[in-house]
Amino acid sequence: MAFLCRLVGAALLAGTWLLSAQAAGEEAKVLRFAFRSVETGFDPQRVDDLYSSAVNNELFEPLLDFDYFARPVKLVPGVVEEVPAPEDGGQTYTFRIRRGIYFTDDPVFRGKRRELTAADAAYAVKRLRDPRNRAPYGWLMQDALLGLDALHDEALESGRFDYDKPVPGIEVIDRYTVRFRLTRPDFNFLYRFTMPQTAPVAREVIEAYGEDTMAHPVGTGPFRLAEWTRRQKIVLERNPNYRGRTLDTTYADPADPDHRRILAELRGKRLPQLDRVEIYPMDASQPRFLAFMNAEHDLLQEVPFTFINQVAPGNELLPSLAAKGVHMQRVVPPEIYYYQFNMEHPVVGGYKPEHVALRRAIVLAHNIDQELTILYKGQGEQAYGPIPPGVVGYDPQFFHHEQDYDPARAVALLDMYGWVDRDGDGWRDQPDGQPLVIDYLHSTGSGARDQAGLWEKSMREVGIRLVARGVQFSDQLRDRKAGKYMIAGAAWAADWPDAQNFLALLYGPNIPELNDSRFQLEAFDRLYRQSLVLPDSPERDGLYREMSRLTVAYAPWRMSQYPVWTHLSYPWVLGYLKHPLYHTRLEYLDLDLAARNAAAAR
Amino acid sequence: MGAYLTRRLWQIIPTLAGVIGLVFVLFNWVGGDPALVLAGKVPDPAQIENIRRQLGLDQPWWVQLWIFVQQVFTFDFGRSWSTNQLVSEVLLTRVGPTLTIMVPMLLLETALAVSLALAVAYLRGSLTDRAVMIITTVAMSISFLVYIIVFQWLFGYRLAWFPVQGWSQDFWTNLTKFAPLPILLGVFLSLAPSLRLYRSFILDEIGHDYVRTARAKGLTENRIMFRHVLRNALIPILTYVGIGLPSLFVGSFLLEMFFSIPGLGREVIDSVNRSDFPVIKAITVYLAMLTMLVNLLVDVLYRFADPRVSFK
Repeated sequence: MAFLCRLVGAALLAGTWLLSAQAAGEEAKVLRFAFRSVETGFDPQRVDDLYSSAVNNELFEPLLDFDYFARPVKLVPGVVEEVPAPEDGGQTYTFRIRRGIYFTDDPVFRGKRRELTAADAAYAVKRLRDPRNRAPYGWLMQDALLGLDALHDEALESGRFDYDKPVPGIEVIDRYTVRFRLTRPDFNFLYRFTMPQTAPVAREVIEAYGEDTMAHPVGTGPFRLAEWTRRQKIVLERNPNYRGRTLDTTYADPADPDHRRILAELRGKRLPQLDRVEIYPMDASQPRFLAFMNAEHDLLQEVPFTFINQVAPGNELLPSLAAKGVHMQRVVPPEIYYYQFNMEHPVVGGYKPEHVALRRAIVLAHNIDQELTILYKGQGEQAYGPIPPGVVGYDPQFFHHEQDYDPARAVALLDMYGWVDRDGDGWRDQPDGQPLVIDYLHSTGSGARDQAGLWEKSMREVGIRLVARGVQFSDQLRDRKAGKYMIAGAAWAADWPDAQNFLALLYGPNIPELNDSRFQLEAFDRLYRQSLVLPDSPERDGLYREMSRLTVAYAPWRMSQYPVWTHLSYPWVLGYLKHPLYHTRLEYLDLDLAARNAAAAR
Repeated sequence: MGAYLTRRLWQIIPTLAGVIGLVFVLFNWVGGDPALVLAGKVPDPAQIENIRRQLGLDQPWWVQLWIFVQQVFTFDFGRSWSTNQLVSEVLLTRVGPTLTIMVPMLLLETALAVSLALAVAYLRGSLTDRAVMIITTVAMSISFLVYIIVFQWLFGYRLAWFPVQGWSQDFWTNLTKFAPLPILLGVFLSLAPSLRLYRSFILDEIGHDYVRTARAKGLTENRIMFRHVLRNALIPILTYVGIGLPSLFVGSFLLEMFFSIPGLGREVIDSVNRSDFPVIKAITVYLAMLTMLVNLLVDVLYRFADPRVSFK
């Protein structure tokens, strides 16, 4: 009976929502914006690209979430009752799923409402290790949960992943409780459950759609997929089964003007407010920019660098746009762009003083100032360490001059360690007299070509011959993993907001999968291992700082920049606050249709 | 004619075998490793090996070649490696938008170029002729990309005559709302080279004795130009149009990219970027087949344009 009452209540609520939006004469709230690249599909465990994941975040609900306001970001419960506390010294985590969360309707459910259960969460985690799925984020659960890797290996042998076989590391305790047991303590494990890749899915849906799961996402999120023309248009509509919520203001900062604006715009509203969202993936920057400028689109996320001076010269919003009420936000996401040396290369690699000196001289000779101001048009902050802002462990006081542009110091270092011109051809040679030729590997594309040009020019100025080699992205990956390069361009975006996610790129045992600069320093590896078993604490921050210091000293990377993205929205877009980790949070947006219509009439 | 067609169709087989061999070699030994791209951010060797096994890349080359040949003749290239969509579905959904742009563009461009070429050829040496030649030379020396950027900015944003981008599920909406600007752009761009070429074809004909004879007989200029000169100039024009026909199906990737048209051109670029070999292979092989068939069609049309041509 109680179930029947809940069912009727939910149906009434859903009906009220739909009716409220589509009542006679009432205009639906339709938000339009563009992605700056194309999507792949919407099976959360089978995709890894940013834009598919952004849509999946609206369609599915990971177990945990990041608060909308908190900076640095803060974990909050998603579909669970509370953020689990680490048990057994960080080796066990128990999630209790909230009751009464339902998947969006789908023919597979045969007209019945389907409640989210612990088994769905366990199933999603297992899917990440099913070889058939070729899950690009399978590594999230690799070597992490007791018994899961063995099941994966069995599946590789037999060709079939046995989802029903008990796994010691994944225990469904009851309908709403799932416990994960880890192979070793990990205080960052919970962050994995903020990612759409771990979002629960209904097993019967996945099995029913077989190979077509990319086109049939069935989640519990605030929106559902209404229409999809691959790589051209994605239409989401409000999920009538979504329970809805009001804005959680726990971490809102009344002193922050953006927070104050959003509090005023969303106060008392039941979220989500949007009826429909139209997303247009666009590879070219100009149409994306123009579609916003003539108000075909309501938002412009990540303003293309080529147009930044037309909307925000000197990082100040153009007065004509400000007069229209356009709102600008500049956000530093937890990302770093860098160039890596192949530390196993006989010339640029190695840990002897002359090799360290060569790398440090190359770093000092590379004109980072021009890269930031000309190539990136001032849309980046110079990186001083491997840990970007916005992640736990970032130290804003970490500053030095070892990665500045200083050609005079570069020349002095090269001369001091014997990297001089020995045959009089105008180019520096190795200390043993062999010619010094640096192989710079980059992917094709105008941005990468410009960077390569700047590298050639910078090195020429200190007498180093550098030959740029542009290859397809897949070939660049292959050569990097195989160690067939001397310097290569690279970038990393946080999977979770902890420094460990970045320092793992320099940890010796991670060669070559993660650590393809092949940096291997015992002192660094020891500190990294110590940090793994510590929770967030000043002691762990100290270890992170020491690792950053070693990175600067041995120079396996030329750290380039922490990118800064500019985001624009029209005044009729309410509640918009760009989150550093999520591409969009459509649930928190609303539209002032009267304002939009008035602007269109003008 | 039947014997001629049969012989030409037989000739397609060795050409197609060559195309299959070339495509196979290019993708299997020259192209990048798709497993690396599909393996994600942290590609461990076991994951790469698993992907190679699933994609059949671990099979001996002759097995892979045999599978490829079967795919060509069964029209079943399986699924896209990146999106898991059926390749046949990819092609069928993409060809419509491409043709919606390219067919009107070809028709308009050919009609305009032939008409203008006849006019300027008739006025050869006049100020109009010289002015048109200068304008076409200038027009041809500007990059396609510049035209797209300027047209989109001017007509889409500044004057707001057309939407900057977009596409719908409805053919008429597409043809009347979203396609006009890219079509206009495409026509404007291809008009200059076609006009110059057709003018030279027509001038070649105008210089022949039969034109002088026709004039001596007192035929009207209209009759000379349209009935005699144009008909004889049709063979090179048909050849030129025929060469361009297969590209109707691939479209212009730049136009499709800038106007967000979900066509085959954009699909090719996306597939290349993602090393999505099944899609690229299918498009490459079918385009080669189409080119051969169009060549045959053009050869047959010669017979109708010029009765002196015979099938041997």
